[in-house]
Amino acid sequence: MVLQLHTARGPRKMTIGTKLRNVTWSMVLVICAVASIGFAMLYSAAHGSYDPWMDRQMARFGIGLVMMLAIAMVDLRSLMKIAYPLYAIAFVLLIYVDVAGEIGMGAQRWIDLKVIQLQPSEIMKIALVLALARYFHGFTYEDMKRPMVLIIPTLMALLPTGLVLKQPDLGTALMLTMVGGAIFFVAGVRWWKFAVVFAIAIAGAYFAWNSDLLHDYQKKRVLTFLDPSQDALGAGYHITQSKIALGSGGVFGKGFLQGSQSHLDFLPERQTDFIFTMFAEEFGMVGGVVLVGLYSLLVLYGIVIALRSRSHFGRLLAYGLSANLFLYFFINTAMVMGLIPVVGIPLPLISYGGTAMMTVMIGFGLIISVYVHRDMRLGRRNGDDE
Amino acid sequence: MKRRNDHMRADKFAAQRSQPVINPMALEAEPEGRQKRALEMGHTRLMLGAGLFCVAFLVITARLAAVTLLPGEDDAGVARQKIASTGRADVIDRNGVVLATSLTTASLYANPRQITDPDSVAKRLAPILPELNPTATATKLSSDRAFTWLWRNLTPKQQQAVNNLGIPGLYFQYETKRIYPQGNLTAHLVGFTDIDGKGIAGVERSFDDALNGGTRPLQLSIDIRVQHIMHEELSNAIRDFHAIGGAGMVMDVRTGEVLSLVSLPDFDPAQPGAAPADARFNRATLGVFEMGSTFKTFNTAIGLDSGTVSMTGGYDASKPIRIGGFTISDYHGKNRFLTVPEIYAYSSNIGSAKMADDFGTETQQTYLRRFGMLEKSSIELPEVGAPMYPGLKNWKRINTMTIAYGHGIAVSLAQLISGISAVVNGGDMRAPTILKRQPDQIPAGQPVISEQTSINMRALMRTVVQEGTAKKADAPGYLVGCKTGTADKLQGHTYAKNARMAVIVCSFPSNNPRYAVAALVDEPVPNEHSYGYATAGWVAAPVAGALVQRMAPLYGMAPIPDSDPAAQNPLAALVADYDSPNSKKPHSMVTQVKATANGATPATQSKIPVDDQEDVTGPPQNTDPGASIADE
Repeated sequence: MVLQLHTARGPRKMTIGTKLRNVTWSMVLVICAVASIGFAMLYSAAHGSYDPWMDRQMARFGIGLVMMLAIAMVDLRSLMKIAYPLYAIAFVLLIYVDVAGEIGMGAQRWIDLKVIQLQPSEIMKIALVLALARYFHGFTYEDMKRPMVLIIPTLMALLPTGLVLKQPDLGTALMLTMVGGAIFFVAGVRWWKFAVVFAIAIAGAYFAWNSDLLHDYQKKRVLTFLDPSQDALGAGYHITQSKIALGSGGVFGKGFLQGSQSHLDFLPERQTDFIFTMFAEEFGMVGGVVLVGLYSLLVLYGIVIALRSRSHFGRLLAYGLSANLFLYFFINTAMVMGLIPVVGIPLPLISYGGTAMMTVMIGFGLIISVYVHRDMRLGRRNGDDE
Repeated sequence: MKRRNDHMRADKFAAQRSQPVINPMALEAEPEGRQKRALEMGHTRLMLGAGLFCVAFLVITARLAAVTLLPGEDDAGVARQKIASTGRADVIDRNGVVLATSLTTASLYANPRQITDPDSVAKRLAPILPELNPTATATKLSSDRAFTWLWRNLTPKQQQAVNNLGIPGLYFQYETKRIYPQGNLTAHLVGFTDIDGKGIAGVERSFDDALNGGTRPLQLSIDIRVQHIMHEELSNAIRDFHAIGGAGMVMDVRTGEVLSLVSLPDFDPAQPGAAPADARFNRATLGVFEMGSTFKTFNTAIGLDSGTVSMTGGYDASKPIRIGGFTISDYHGKNRFLTVPEIYAYSSNIGSAKMADDFGTETQQTYLRRFGMLEKSSIELPEVGAPMYPGLKNWKRINTMTIAYGHGIAVSLAQLISGISAVVNGGDMRAPTILKRQPDQIPAGQPVISEQTSINMRALMRTVVQEGTAKKADAPGYLVGCKTGTADKLQGHTYAKNARMAVIVCSFPSNNPRYAVAALVDEPVPNEHSYGYATAGWVAAPVAGALVQRMAPLYGMAPIPDSDPAAQNPLAALVADYDSPNSKKPHSMVTQVKATANGATPATQSKIPVDDQEDVTGPPQNTDPGASIADE
C-alpha cells in the first residue's frame, strides 16, 4: 500500500524539470548574496583589485553553484546508498594523510593531487553527517534506549575526530565532534547520556592539557585567549588586532575599501580567517548584524527543511549539515570577536579558499536535495521501500 | 520567513489531504505510531537545536555590538605594549659589544582627505625628503583615500623637520627594526627575526621568549674580537684553497663557553632572504661530518684511559689490515712497528684500528658517549645536527676499527670541540654554551678520562705540532697542540675522490690548556703553494696557528720561551719528524723505552714533565726517556 502511495505521488518519477522547480530558489538567492559580500571583501582585501583573490573565488563559487544544483537533483535513496562508501573513502584518505600526506603549514592535512589539494577532513565533515544520518535512519526512537545501538555511531564520529586531531587540526576535530553530537541529539539519544559524555570530555580535556597530546601552540592559543593582553604582540596579536579593527568600525563602518586597520596590514589573514573583522570594520556593526542575519536565515532554511522532511534520513541530513554551517559561522565569528580561542576555521562562502567553499556548497546541495525529495519515504534498511 | 513557514505547513496539510483514502496510520498502526512518536520527538529536538542556534546568533550579535560600540577595554593595554615592544632585549658579547639591538623608526603617512593643498605640501616636504618625488606625492595627496604611505624609516632629524612643518593630515607610524651592527660576522650565531620581531634563527630564536620579555641584554660567551679573527683566517683559507665553505669554533676548555662560532659562507642578517640556502646553513652546528684522523685523539685517549695500551706500548703497522672485504692502510705509512706517540703523530690508521680492536666495541661506545659524540650537541642554537653512526646493534668490529680513525661516524664541529676540551682539560666533559658563565655558574663537569690520560694527550697533541702533520698550526711561544684530519667527503654512498674535509683540533697552551680551537675547511682544492696538497696540515692548520698567534695576546698570555721547562715535550724527541725522508727512529730506542718503563715502579711513572709549571722537575730531554714517559 505504501508503495502505491508513493507511485501515486510520484516522487520517484520526478523529472529534472519538476525537481528544479522544487529547488528552494530563495535560499539559493541568499547563498549568492552572502557569496557576493565575500567577493566584495576579497576585492577590498586586495586593496581594490580583482587579483589575486576575488576572480579566483568567483570561479570557485560558480563551480560550487553548479555542483550544488547537481547534487540537489540526486534523490535521497541514492544518497543513502553512497553514505557508507563515502564515509569509508573519507576515512581511508584521512589515514592516508596521516601516513604520507603532504606536510603543509606544519600539519598534515592535504593530499596533493597536483591539480587541487584534497583535504580529507573536509570530505569527512560531509561524509560523517551522511553516514550518521544513514545509520540512525535504521533505528526507532525506542532503539535509542539501547546503549549497544550507540556504540557504532560513536566510533563513527570519534575515529575520524581522533585522526584529525592527530594532524593536528583542533578546529576541524571540534567541528566533527559537535556535528556528530548534534545528530545524536536529534536522533533522540537520551539527555543523561550527553551529560555523561560532557563529563568525560571535561576530564579528557584536563588529561590532554597535562599530557603531550596538545601542541604547545595549541595550549598557547587557549592561554592567550584567556588573557590576550598578556601576549599582545605574540599569539594574542590576532585577537587584539581583530578587536581594534572591529572597534574602529563603529556603527556604520568606515566605508568600502576604507578599513585602515585591515589595509595597513595590522589585521592578519584578512582575506581568510579574519575576513569578518574586515567586513565589520568597513561596514560597521550594522553590516555585521546584516551578515549574521543572512547566515541565520541560511541555517533556518536548513532547519525548516529538516522539519519538513518525511524521512528520518532526510531530516537528520538537513539538520546535520545546517549544524555544520552554523558551526563554521559561529566558530569563525566568535573567534574574531575574542569569544573563543583562535582556531583556523574560515567564514563559509566569504573567506578566500576552495575547500571550505566546496564543503559548504555540497552541504547546501544536500540540504536542497532533502527539500526536493521531502516527501520521499525511505525503508529502514537501505533506502528501498518497505 | 514566517510566510514561507506557513506556506510549507500549508503544503504539508495539502499533501495529506490529497490522499484521504489511504491512511497509512490506519493500515500499519503499530510501526507508524512508533514512527510518528519518533517524528514528534525528532521535531521537539530539532526545535530545541534551532533554539540553541538562535541563542548563539544572539550572543554573536550582542558581542558584535559590544566590540564595535563600546570603547575597547584593551586599547590602553595595546598602546602600552607598543611602547614596550621596542624593548626586545639587546644581545651583547662577553665584553658588552652590541650584537643585536632594536631601533624605533618613524614612517610618514598621510590622510589625503585632510590635506587641503596637496601641491604645497609636496613642495614643502621635498627639501626634507629629497628622494621623494614631489609630483608623485602631490598626486598621492590629491587622492580620495584615507591613507597613503609617503616615506618609510625616516631619520630622527627628518621626523623633527616634518613635525616642524606642522601640516595637518600627516602622521607617523612607529616601527621597530632589529639591527645587527656586526652584520655577517655573527649571522649564523645571532640569527635574525622576521618582520614582526619574532626570532626565527640562531640566538634570536632559541632565546626568543627571554629577549621578548627581558629588558636586560642577553650576554653571550662570544668574544667579537676572537670571532673576527676566526672569520678572517677561515675566509683566507677558503679563498686560498678555493673551498666551498668552512667552520671554526673557539672554546674555553675550563668552562665550556664558546668564544667564537663561525660558519662560512654567511649572509647579511638584515636580508636573510636574499642569501642562498647554503649560506644560511650552519656548518659548525648543523652540519655533521666525518672528522677523520682528529678522532684518533679520542681513540688514543680511550686506549690509554682504559689501560689496554700504555704510552710506551705500540702496534705493528707494517702491513695493511684486511677485514671483511675492506683494507685499512696508512697514508704515507712507515711500514714498521709504531709506538703510541708515533701512531698518533704519524696518524697511523693501522695502529689506531688495532688499538681500538684491543679495547673493543663496548668500551669505544661508552667513551664516545661520554665525550658527547653519540648525541647532538646541547649548544643553545636551534640549528643543531644529530650525529650519524651505525646503530648500536649494527656497530660491528669493522665499524669499531674505522671509527678509531674517524670514518663511519659523523659529528658536528660543536660536538668535536666539546670532546676535545674534555680530553685536554683534565678529563671533564662540560656542556657547551654560547651564554657567558659567571664563575659560580661553571658546571662541575662529568669525568670522562683520568687527569693523567689528559696530561698524556696534551703531550701527544703537542708532538703532532712539533714533529707531525700540524707544524703549520704552531704559534711560537703558545705551545699549541693539535691533531689534523683529512676525510674524503661522502657523496651518496661512496667516498668522493676529490672532495674532502680538512679538519683540525687544537688546544693551547699545552702545559695547561685554556682554549680549544677547531676548524674545518669544506672541499679545499690544492693550490700552487701547497705542492699539490689539500690536506688539513696545509689547509686547516694555518688557520689555527694564525688564530692562536693573534688571539693569545688579547687574553694577556705571555709567550713561553723555548728554553722554559714548561715548553719542553720529551715525547717530541721520541718521535722523528714526520716529514723527514729518513724518519726511521732506531727501533732499539723504542724498545728500550718500553723496557725501562715496564721495569720502573708505579710511583715514578706518574707524570711526564709537560703537565704544568709547578711540577716541572723533569730531566732535560733525551737523558733518560724511560723515566719521564709514564704508563698509566
